[in-house]
Amino acid sequence: MSSTASTFPPNSAPDPQTKRTPLFRPAGNLQPGIVATLILFFCLYAGYRSGDFWSALNWRLLVQPLAEAGLVSLGMMFVIASGGIDLSAGSIIGLSAVAAGLAAHHGWSVPAIEGIAILSGLLCGAFNGLMIGVLRLSSILVTLGSMILFSGIALALSSGSSFAGFPEGLLWWNDATFAHIPVEFLLFLGVAAIAAVLLQRTLWGHYVVAIGSNPVTARYSGYPVALSTFAIYSVQGLLCGMTGVLMVARLASARADMGQGLMLMAIAAVVLGGAPIEGGAASVLGTVTGVGAFYIVQDGLLLLDVPPFVQHALSSVLLLVAVAFGNLLRGKREDGR
Amino acid sequence: MRKISSTRQRKLDRHETKLAALLVLFATVLAFVAPRFFGAANLSLLARSMGVLLIVAVGMLNVIITGGIDISAGSILAVVSVVLVRLGNHGMGAPYALALGLLTGIFLGAINAALIAEFRIPPIVATLGTAGLFRGLLLEWTQGEWESSIPAWLNAWGRPRWGGLDASVWTAALVVVIAAMVLHRTQIGRALFRYGDSPIAAARVGISRRQPIYFAYISLGFLTALGAIFYAAQLGAVQGNAANGYELTVIAAVVLGGADILGGRGSLAGTFLGVLLLCSLQQALVLLHVETFWQNIATGAVVLAGVIFSAAPSYRKKIMLRQGSPA
Repeated sequence: MSSTASTFPPNSAPDPQTKRTPLFRPAGNLQPGIVATLILFFCLYAGYRSGDFWSALNWRLLVQPLAEAGLVSLGMMFVIASGGIDLSAGSIIGLSAVAAGLAAHHGWSVPAIEGIAILSGLLCGAFNGLMIGVLRLSSILVTLGSMILFSGIALALSSGSSFAGFPEGLLWWNDATFAHIPVEFLLFLGVAAIAAVLLQRTLWGHYVVAIGSNPVTARYSGYPVALSTFAIYSVQGLLCGMTGVLMVARLASARADMGQGLMLMAIAAVVLGGAPIEGGAASVLGTVTGVGAFYIVQDGLLLLDVPPFVQHALSSVLLLVAVAFGNLLRGKREDGR
Repeated sequence: MRKISSTRQRKLDRHETKLAALLVLFATVLAFVAPRFFGAANLSLLARSMGVLLIVAVGMLNVIITGGIDISAGSILAVVSVVLVRLGNHGMGAPYALALGLLTGIFLGAINAALIAEFRIPPIVATLGTAGLFRGLLLEWTQGEWESSIPAWLNAWGRPRWGGLDASVWTAALVVVIAAMVLHRTQIGRALFRYGDSPIAAARVGISRRQPIYFAYISLGFLTALGAIFYAAQLGAVQGNAANGYELTVIAAVVLGGADILGGRGSLAGTFLGVLLLCSLQQALVLLHVETFWQNIATGAVVLAGVIFSAAPSYRKKIMLRQGSPA
């Protein structure tokens, strides 16, 4: 699997002189590799300092929130690859969690609860997609508005209170394991694999990257820009809906402000994974690395008894350092900025 | 197809004119639904609620004109208000505490600018990172506790004076006047617009790549710190989690005022009207005893309507560009 979907293979004429590849030729994007290496060293250090770091329980507790943030990040990856941004992701998660809460409150069956939560996420995403793709409005402005709107709807539906008393069947998502791996995490890996196929092996994935690298060219090339963009935000909404269900299952409660921190987290994870915020390139591997890095670092710092608020600050430093390094490695951009 | 428009037509087409028309319509509806809205007491409350937002929005306008964005403004506001209150509570005199508070804002703004200008990190990523960094360090410093009392001199700043309005309103007016002069009558002000339009073209005519960035983010840091003084004074208590998400309200007000999020376009008049619309909407909903979450829904709907509304002329321009006719 190549690290970025946008890099074309170089013109490889079989020239005996240049056949030997240099040892350190920067192939594609180095940032995910750098982040992964840093995290590996961090893991070794954390394991050395804290005996609990490599325990099965720690990793079990670690991968569940990671899976939730990972789903949003995968959606955000498509959005960012197309040159957009989604500020409303957290509100969509809150809204779908509240939808699940309401459905459970009215005694709906488990599949119906899951269905209504995912459907409300999808509808929110489709709303964004309609405004951004079809009406061609700026994504940052639309999602800024819809972020306030969706969280308002979620608050109105829940009257600002939280829901509890979910059926056992829903909590299965939190408790069930397969070969000692939480199903939540397996679901995330499955979705990541599907996302990789969508991004690299389908026309839609090609359209997404093309729209991000140059929307005008994409339109001139006759690509279905409006429809593809609509699909991007709908997929993002769908994944936010799934995240909502998983969060409700793990926390056994639903609140309107549940997804608050995840929106910025997802953007940071995608960027940490090496995707340019301007769009035009994306990699599933990078995104998974990015979101994994955040959660591993936070968990490790927790075990190293670093105060919780400093953990938060250090994750932000990780983002800034990684992006600054990535920029340095990539060298000067053509416009010299 | 549209012909070249007359000056009068252009004035009518301007975003500010439409926004003002919308406000007049809104005021007319309010005059029937809630006549109390236009009482002196309520209007002074409205002005009070606008002060801080307007001060910070002017700074955000500078940043958005350069084509940037600042997600860390809410964190900077919280840091400065806590610094100010803590210094004051430890017995530091008002002039020193205020000066240190403003310097903190300038320093944090300079960090943002340096990340963007020197390390070439895209503004949204850089300020996303510093937002988490500033907030995390602040929460560690305060340990999540409230500073439930503020120094007496700061408290006095939050009380109405000079014609029933408090100091924040007068300061906001002063800030707008100074910003108008800086944006339109100085080289650096014009450089902001040029840079926001196209950094490459700006570089060709000799505008520095760094200066507009430093100016925009440092001015936002300074104005956010200025806003933080009144924010703390009005609330009478501060906490590490203060002003969480405030930056998004500020950005909403600025873009509602017609500033182009891609840079190069924006006006103080529009920003003022944007702040006025958001605040009077909130105030009206409070007067009508509408519950808080409906206020969110209404605010979101207004922002979305504003986006659709302001996109109409540029959408037309884009179509012209696409058809290859001179824009």
